[in-house]
Amino acid sequence: MSPLYVVMITVLIIWLGIFLYLIGLDRKLSRLGREMDRK
Amino acid sequence: MRGFVKWLIGGWIALVIILAFAWAPEMTRPNFGTGTIEPWPSFRIVFFHVPAAWISVLAFTVSMLWSIAVLRKPTRERDDRAMASAELGFLFCSLALITGMVWARNDWGAYWNWDPRQTSVLILLLIYGGYFTLRSAVAEPLRRSRLAAVYSIVAFVTMPFLVFIVPRIMFSLHPSPIIQAGQGKGSMDPKMRTVFFMSLAGFTGLYIWMLSMRVRLERLAREVRAL
Repeated sequence: MSPLYVVMITVLIIWLGIFLYLIGLDRKLSRLGREMDRK
Repeated sequence: MRGFVKWLIGGWIALVIILAFAWAPEMTRPNFGTGTIEPWPSFRIVFFHVPAAWISVLAFTVSMLWSIAVLRKPTRERDDRAMASAELGFLFCSLALITGMVWARNDWGAYWNWDPRQTSVLILLLIYGGYFTLRSAVAEPLRRSRLAAVYSIVAFVTMPFLVFIVPRIMFSLHPSPIIQAGQGKGSMDPKMRTVFFMSLAGFTGLYIWMLSMRVRLERLAREVRAL
């Protein structure tokens, strides 16, 4: 496999990790916001 | 921000990564030592390095605008937005510096070369580091927001000088003047230009999303403290 594709897959995996972390954080914030509004 | 927009940003940036490596054509450069033209694979970092740098400029500008709003009428929400944008500016500026260092290791032989561009961006990071130090040093919220707003505006004044002027008035190994001198402005391949602007749009979407999250987090933290 070309080294360029190895770099591409590495960058994609890093981005997937960052993105899933951000999605998780966003959902947690939304849930907390709803709970605070209810209280 | 709606849920599907977040997934769109994620998918969009993933697509940019694939296109940057698999679709954008390979750049070449002259080797002045041998007199030959050689491939330039590290050039692909431009698709991530330049958008990160531009988003840092955008974020510092937004922070400055919210800081002006704070000085006109201080509110916690305005202060939150100014702070959140400055934090993201710091983050994206650090990303630009790190990707630039990776580039420098590959092309110039060392991660750090005290090149005017590297040095001026480092100084900019240190200036905005002072902004966060100032915020953490003042406990009283109204005084903190006003002092931080003044600091943010003054810090912003240095930004165009450090980002745009210093690297142009001093000799720099940074590629843009070399590329422009050899091929003229706007000579980027159409495919590369497409990926570049797609990346710029993706980074902008990411910045807006992260900014909204940071502002929401700050509001929640304030509400929890008030309980």
